[in-house]
Amino acid sequence: MEKILLRNVGAPDSHTIGVYRSRGGYGALEKVLREMSPERLIGEIKASGLRGRGGAGFPTGMKWGFVPKDNPKPKYVVCNADESEPGTFKDRLLIEKDPHAIVEGTIIAAYAIQSHTAFIYIRGEFSFGAKVLERAIDEATAAGYLGKNILGSGYDIDLILHRGAGAYICGEETGLLSSLEGGKGWPKVKPPFPATHGLFGCPTVVNNVETLASLPWIVEQGAARYTAIGTEKSKGTKLFSVSGHIKNPGVYEVDMGYPFKKFLEEDCGGVPNGKKLKGVIPGGASMPVLRPDELDGITMDYESFQAAGTLLGSGGVIVMDESTCMVRAAWNISRFFEHESCGQCSPCREGCHWMEKIFRRIERGEGKEGDLDLILSVSGNIMGNTICPFGDAAAMPAAAFIKKYRDEFDQHILQQRCTVSAS
Amino acid sequence: MADPVKITIDGREVATTKGKTVIQAAADAGIAIPHYCYHPKLTIAGNCRMCLVEIEKMPKLQISCNTLVTEGMAVKTESPKVLEARRAVMEFLLINHPLDCPICDQAGECWLQDYYMKHDLSASRFDERKEHERKREIFGPYVVFDGERCIKCTRCVRFLQEVTHTDELTVVNRGDDSTIALFPGEILDNPLSVNVVDICPVGALTDRDFRFKVRVWYLRKTPSICPGCSTGCNISLETYQNRVARFKPRVNEAVNSHWLCDEGRYSFHALTEGERLTTPMIRQEGGLVPTDWDTALEAAIAGLGANGPLLGVLSGRNTNEEAFLFARLMKKISSQTALEVFYRERELTEVEKVLKSPDRSPNFRGARDMGVHSNGGFDSLAGRLVAGNFRGAYIVGEDLINLPGDGEKIQTALEKLSFLVVQDTRLTPTAKLAHVVLPATHFGEKEGTYTNRRGRVQKLNPGIVPPLGALQDWEIFSRLLARAVEKVAYSTAAEIFSALAREIPAYGGLSYGKIGDQGFQLGNETQQP
Amino acid sequence: MMNAVKFSDESLKRFDEIVGRYPKKEAAMLPVLRLAQGEFGYLSAAAIEYVAAIMGVPAARVYGVVTFYTMLNMKPIGRHHIQVCRTLPCALAGAERITAAIRSKLGIRVGETTADGKFTLSEVECLASCGTAPMMQVNDDYYENLNEQSVGEILDKLK
Repeated sequence: MEKILLRNVGAPDSHTIGVYRSRGGYGALEKVLREMSPERLIGEIKASGLRGRGGAGFPTGMKWGFVPKDNPKPKYVVCNADESEPGTFKDRLLIEKDPHAIVEGTIIAAYAIQSHTAFIYIRGEFSFGAKVLERAIDEATAAGYLGKNILGSGYDIDLILHRGAGAYICGEETGLLSSLEGGKGWPKVKPPFPATHGLFGCPTVVNNVETLASLPWIVEQGAARYTAIGTEKSKGTKLFSVSGHIKNPGVYEVDMGYPFKKFLEEDCGGVPNGKKLKGVIPGGASMPVLRPDELDGITMDYESFQAAGTLLGSGGVIVMDESTCMVRAAWNISRFFEHESCGQCSPCREGCHWMEKIFRRIERGEGKEGDLDLILSVSGNIMGNTICPFGDAAAMPAAAFIKKYRDEFDQHILQQRCTVSAS
Repeated sequence: MADPVKITIDGREVATTKGKTVIQAAADAGIAIPHYCYHPKLTIAGNCRMCLVEIEKMPKLQISCNTLVTEGMAVKTESPKVLEARRAVMEFLLINHPLDCPICDQAGECWLQDYYMKHDLSASRFDERKEHERKREIFGPYVVFDGERCIKCTRCVRFLQEVTHTDELTVVNRGDDSTIALFPGEILDNPLSVNVVDICPVGALTDRDFRFKVRVWYLRKTPSICPGCSTGCNISLETYQNRVARFKPRVNEAVNSHWLCDEGRYSFHALTEGERLTTPMIRQEGGLVPTDWDTALEAAIAGLGANGPLLGVLSGRNTNEEAFLFARLMKKISSQTALEVFYRERELTEVEKVLKSPDRSPNFRGARDMGVHSNGGFDSLAGRLVAGNFRGAYIVGEDLINLPGDGEKIQTALEKLSFLVVQDTRLTPTAKLAHVVLPATHFGEKEGTYTNRRGRVQKLNPGIVPPLGALQDWEIFSRLLARAVEKVAYSTAAEIFSALAREIPAYGGLSYGKIGDQGFQLGNETQQP
Repeated sequence: MMNAVKFSDESLKRFDEIVGRYPKKEAAMLPVLRLAQGEFGYLSAAAIEYVAAIMGVPAARVYGVVTFYTMLNMKPIGRHHIQVCRTLPCALAGAERITAAIRSKLGIRVGETTADGKFTLSEVECLASCGTAPMMQVNDDYYENLNEQSVGEILDKLK
């Protein structure tokens, strides 16, 4: 498999501009400035089929295309480096090991929409990552890739590193923009959408770290080479973060369409200690869990995961072996969403809180008959009815755990204790 | 003009315009979509999710407060999917909300309670302990907060950000811990603060002045005009057992929109409370003694007629009808008559300027239109009084010797007068100097009209029955007029209005019917003075 | 009291730099709050009022912001803020045992600070270190692949 995103990660001192350039870094930016109009660049990215790697999978070129060209207001690009989805740590790896790919990708995106101010919004806890990126920005500025008239092209671009302060919801693009405007990370009601009314009410594109880091390779190698990798609708490669009960946890770059079961068993070494697999969450904690019997035939791309009743999401693969109490796992996730709900809209604020309380009482052996149906009902009442996708993110896993491990939940309630010994 | 757009709501065709949201278009067509956080005068928050509706070709329910109408859009506000979502939102909001309507002051005007009844909710499925939040937290001089009842719609926060720009309140914490709060040590005290009570859809913010005085369903509500200043904010005059219980703002986009200032809101206390005059009085040796109306009126006419030059001061709270008769009366009694309506200005703060006018004379403009005016205005006339230019005076509804600054001088001048008639609701210090005292009525007892600063004629309606013995000001003037000269006797304020509409050109053709509940703008919409 | 809360000259310089970086001043809110927390230790009401004043925004708004983010503290915390991740991948790897080991070593419960003011123990949500679980963050630094023994050694080394 060709390494696109992790191409520099193993190299010593890969975070420095010297090493990055020695491996062809900033060649794509030079090419863009030398020979590509913004329109052609957008066209190339559209042609590559690149889709947003933050979770929603929206086509990147199309997102850029929504930015009005004749709007007199400033335009902004924001790199979403607020990686917080449980089970996901791929952006952190890129930030720490290949920061210049992110910087270069961000400049390319900014050029595409003719933005002159770009931001990297990095989650506040990534203190080390922020230092690495800060240094990368300084190096890029010194080398003439950032600032006024970069590489003599006449194009100006300023890149500002902005650190969050601890809130998962700031990974949601409008929550991120509210936070970047100096407020609480409250998602905004849509419409209007960021492409026309984003940061400070100006046209704005928010792209994930991995999306932006894909750009230099695509620009340099061309859309055709990118589309040669992957499936019909899911192009290129994708990073997967693998954690939980797995022999070789870590970040993997996978061609879209790779068999999921093979990936888990061979690439990641399977479930260790002779234990059996019990469940896998494929796309971060907000995606529905899969039972082992559902894995057959799944390939690692947007469509296949969706057909299996879950979603690719952020590519955060959490593996659970037979010792895992699924009641406890579900409660853990519900507690996460209860803690991270921004509190703005009624269904999410109240519903996440309610679901956590029910999961908790079941887990403690105080569950009641009807509790499971109550959770299913509450999660159903949250789904689709909230300001932002957080509501769905909280509701989907709750419902999936119950539906897929109903017997275990029933037993946990009936016997008023965990029936899975080792947890 | 905005482009016309046709949509259907629940199968009914609705003609609206481009730029409107579904909730607005529905409201215009008389279809009320349930909501909490949406308020027509505040930015869209979209947080309560109560106004979710089904829109053809859209897979998910949409909040009608943030969905713009498009040609041919088909909206369902009562489909099973919508009703289920609405029921769910209600259930969510009631998770931490006490179900103690019987002891809640908001009961009867609570949107949570109303929708709860309408959607026939069954018992709560939330069987955990409710979170106990802050109860009865004093936010400011007039506003108290109950955290348990709050549904976090943020209307109050947005009002203070967007209308007063005072930003006292914010939402603190997040998720289920979110709550409305003041910055530590701060209070909610701005000139418009109580509007947050009006816009709170539940019982989270209540009016300390009104709280627990009376259940709202016992209130009698009369559309009227605030007597606080010449902005002429439209109010609902709410009374109980023949007392004013509170003012609530009444929507009038041409005047006060949805708002009412705190000073105006509570102005009824000073104007309606205290011991009332219920009998005319006349000065005899040793002081004022009660008398009957005939004697008092006869004495007034005789005294005024014999003691020109005359000064006539009318209160800024007297109606157009009263001012019309007063001007006529005074000019008939003496050719040497100077008339003025009480008017004083003060400095307003930026927040006050959102709504308030710099005076306390709601009808100064109308009174002047009726002929109650002289060159130089009230202060000049007061100066002439102090200079001893008058021998007799008729002072209506203003306790002039309590005027800050000039009170003492005016008192001396009034004491020197040969004859003084004072007409008021109470035996004020000024009234105590009078030769004849005539017991009158206040704004809440009157029918009539005020003309606000911008020239909008608006209707006052009585919510209170005056005490036995007191007469309507217009009736006193009418009786005096009958005695002095004319054989005209008016039996209603409406009759007087018809008369003034014939005589005062600017009011020509106007009638109570034409004024209606929202007032009538005179041709000249300029600020006076 | 109020006079005590004021940026040092050095912080003021830093403040100007930060604000100068953004197209709109209010966008600098989080970095300025972090600067304030760095200098004052935590964000007291007086500190919030000070930040509000120099940022030119209402104090209530800043108060709302401070209470929204987990990394901004309105109360003093220990010199070393131990934050153990409790989210699913770490939980699957035994995060609870790590927390228990820290609790028994320091004699405090989650949310408490040691009497000497050295350590505050918190449980936090996912820190994007799931492949190296269980893990904790102490102030700015990540400690990964923890076990009950190694966590004790790490705490011993912290001054």
